Amino acid sequence: MNKRLSITLLTAPAMIVLLGVFILPMLLMLMLSFQDDNQAFTLKNYALFIQDSFYLEILWRTIRVSLWTVLATLLLGFPVAMYMAQASGKMRGIVTMFILAPHLISVVIRNFGWVVVLGEKGWINETLMKLGLIEQPLRLLYNELGVVIGLTDSFIAYMVLALATSMYAIDPSLSKAASILGASRARTFFTVTLPLTLPGIIAGTTLVFSLSMSAFVTPALMGGTSVKVMPVIAYEQIMATLNWPLGAALAFLLLGSTILLVTLYTKLIETKRYKEVFAS
Amino acid sequence: MSKVIDVELRGIIKKFQNNVVVQDFNLQVEQGEFIAFLGPSGCGKTTTLNMIAGFLDPDGGDLLIKGQRMNGVPPYKRELGMVFQTYSLFPHMTVAENIAYGLKLRKVGKQEMQERVKRVLELVKLPNVADRYPKQLSGGQRQRIAIARALVIEPSLLLLDEPLSNLDAKLREELRDELKRLHQEIGVTTIFVTHDQEEALALSDRIVVLNHGFVEQIGTPLEIYNQPASEFVHTFIGKTNRMEGEVIAIDADGIKVRTTGGLLIQAAKQAREFSLQQKVIVFVRPEKIKLSDTGVHTGANQVEGHLQLASFLGSYTECEVVAGKHTLSVKVQMSDKSAEREAGTTVYCNWDAEDVLIMPAERG
Ligand SMILES: Nc1ncnc2c1ncn2[C@@H]1O[C@H](COP(=O)(O)OP(=O)(O)OP(=O)(O)O)[C@@H](O)[C@H]1O
Ligand SMILES: [Mg+2]
Repeated sequence: MNKRLSITLLTAPAMIVLLGVFILPMLLMLMLSFQDDNQAFTLKNYALFIQDSFYLEILWRTIRVSLWTVLATLLLGFPVAMYMAQASGKMRGIVTMFILAPHLISVVIRNFGWVVVLGEKGWINETLMKLGLIEQPLRLLYNELGVVIGLTDSFIAYMVLALATSMYAIDPSLSKAASILGASRARTFFTVTLPLTLPGIIAGTTLVFSLSMSAFVTPALMGGTSVKVMPVIAYEQIMATLNWPLGAALAFLLLGSTILLVTLYTKLIETKRYKEVFAS
Repeated sequence: MSKVIDVELRGIIKKFQNNVVVQDFNLQVEQGEFIAFLGPSGCGKTTTLNMIAGFLDPDGGDLLIKGQRMNGVPPYKRELGMVFQTYSLFPHMTVAENIAYGLKLRKVGKQEMQERVKRVLELVKLPNVADRYPKQLSGGQRQRIAIARALVIEPSLLLLDEPLSNLDAKLREELRDELKRLHQEIGVTTIFVTHDQEEALALSDRIVVLNHGFVEQIGTPLEIYNQPASEFVHTFIGKTNRMEGEVIAIDADGIKVRTTGGLLIQAAKQAREFSLQQKVIVFVRPEKIKLSDTGVHTGANQVEGHLQLASFLGSYTECEVVAGKHTLSVKVQMSDKSAEREAGTTVYCNWDAEDVLIMPAERG
């Protein structure tokens, strides 16, 4: 048996599982989204999306919250990844453990942790009020800010690991070369470190964006009823209203938008130069 | 005209934790000089170079470049050129962009920048690669571009950290000659780090031999070769035969030594002073020993022995001759008929008194 074939065969168990629990139900849902109450073909579930601006607004909010989450994880994660890139092997291991450790706890529990911290009587508001910095408690929860905080906490690990992996591959002597050629540390960062981290930035941002677009638990717990996003209303349609076709259509609209945006984004960034430099 | 000193190291010391890596390094580099730091792995060559470049700060002593104290000045303010062992070209920039990097930071105008990039590419004999990315170049080409990038800013000093060690033997020799030509053409003061004595001998005006962070000797290649300051310098600079013995006579012509193996050795006058009965070490380089089938004379500097082990190395053959307690290594040129002798043959080794180096034994 040739090597290629045997490797392909080894993927078979995973493929079968994927097919059974993922692909097939997806196809069923897709069919469902085109059905009306009498199981006849209809486009009305998708048409509703164009007719009723309510759904478009929710899609836009989902995108907005996801973009803020991408930005927050990127800005917070970058220094951590840079620290990891110059640290010793042992230190890298320790930091990785710290980043991943919170994921051992259910996201529900972690979100409730945030509720305790960010609530009107949470310790952030209590402290700020005791210090006399504010008079009224800040609204940190049950709005988009709360959702972004929760999502950032959930997904920052993916961003850091994607960035760090990319930075490990950068030869440390490149910064030295830039420095001796006359570049200050800031200049070196923007002309050498940042451009060479681009593959990690693309990986991290698309990953966090996709995860945020489809996140359900955090928006439900930390956004409450006022910050509904696409996964939440799809869930409501299916579980509360029992309107499965509409729920399915909303889910596919979300999937389609995510794929479209991610594709556009990568097409935009992966220029000819990018491909020449980073293609293996 | 008085000499201009470009770089001066005054009692430079560097420690890592409690480990002293560079110890009391003193050196003056003249303008236009080509200096090699030569020494075994881990002797502190890169550390010293990094201190000159500004990547490390000395723990003691002063570093002066063009007469100005540089301790604590960051690398990007030192106006130096440096070529790294791993080339360190920016992979996301084309060759032209790599070379222009330092010029851009110096706000050189576009027109002038293009001209200077073009000129330096011609200087390193690669005029047609400007638009390629580093990974589309061979190792030797990358090294040349790295040199071009360092030179284009017209640095006051060029630092090279083992720039040839990642190349194969043939290319290394080629680029070595190229470096020599470049230096003669532009005359930039250069410090070159290497652990290859041939490279150091071939390129440098002066060599600094380092051992465990100590400067063993500073001198021209001829001085280092002919008048080594220590056994370490002599043995590091090339293969040699070492015999222990005792001084038995000193006269106007030189020194006579009897080795522990009973050989009588006549050496020409030495730079050092010796006394009768002093324990000494005698060195004779393999390439200075001549082989013959019959003895030349019966006095000193002759050994009868058996030819053992001959390795053919192209232009010469390396043989070992076993003579009683001593085993001598001998280099025979191909032009010499004796290169065709078979193992086991009885041969005579001879050498001249001028080719004998004697050092006192108590050191080390
Ligand atoms: N950052 C560091 N921390 C601790 N010790 C170091 C550090 N850098 C170098 N050393 C030690 O200092 C000594 C000199 O190192 P250096 O790199 O200068 O050697 P070198 O002469 O350049 O050797 P090579 O020919 O192998 O490049 C070595 O023993 C090395 O282990
Ligand atoms: Mg080194």
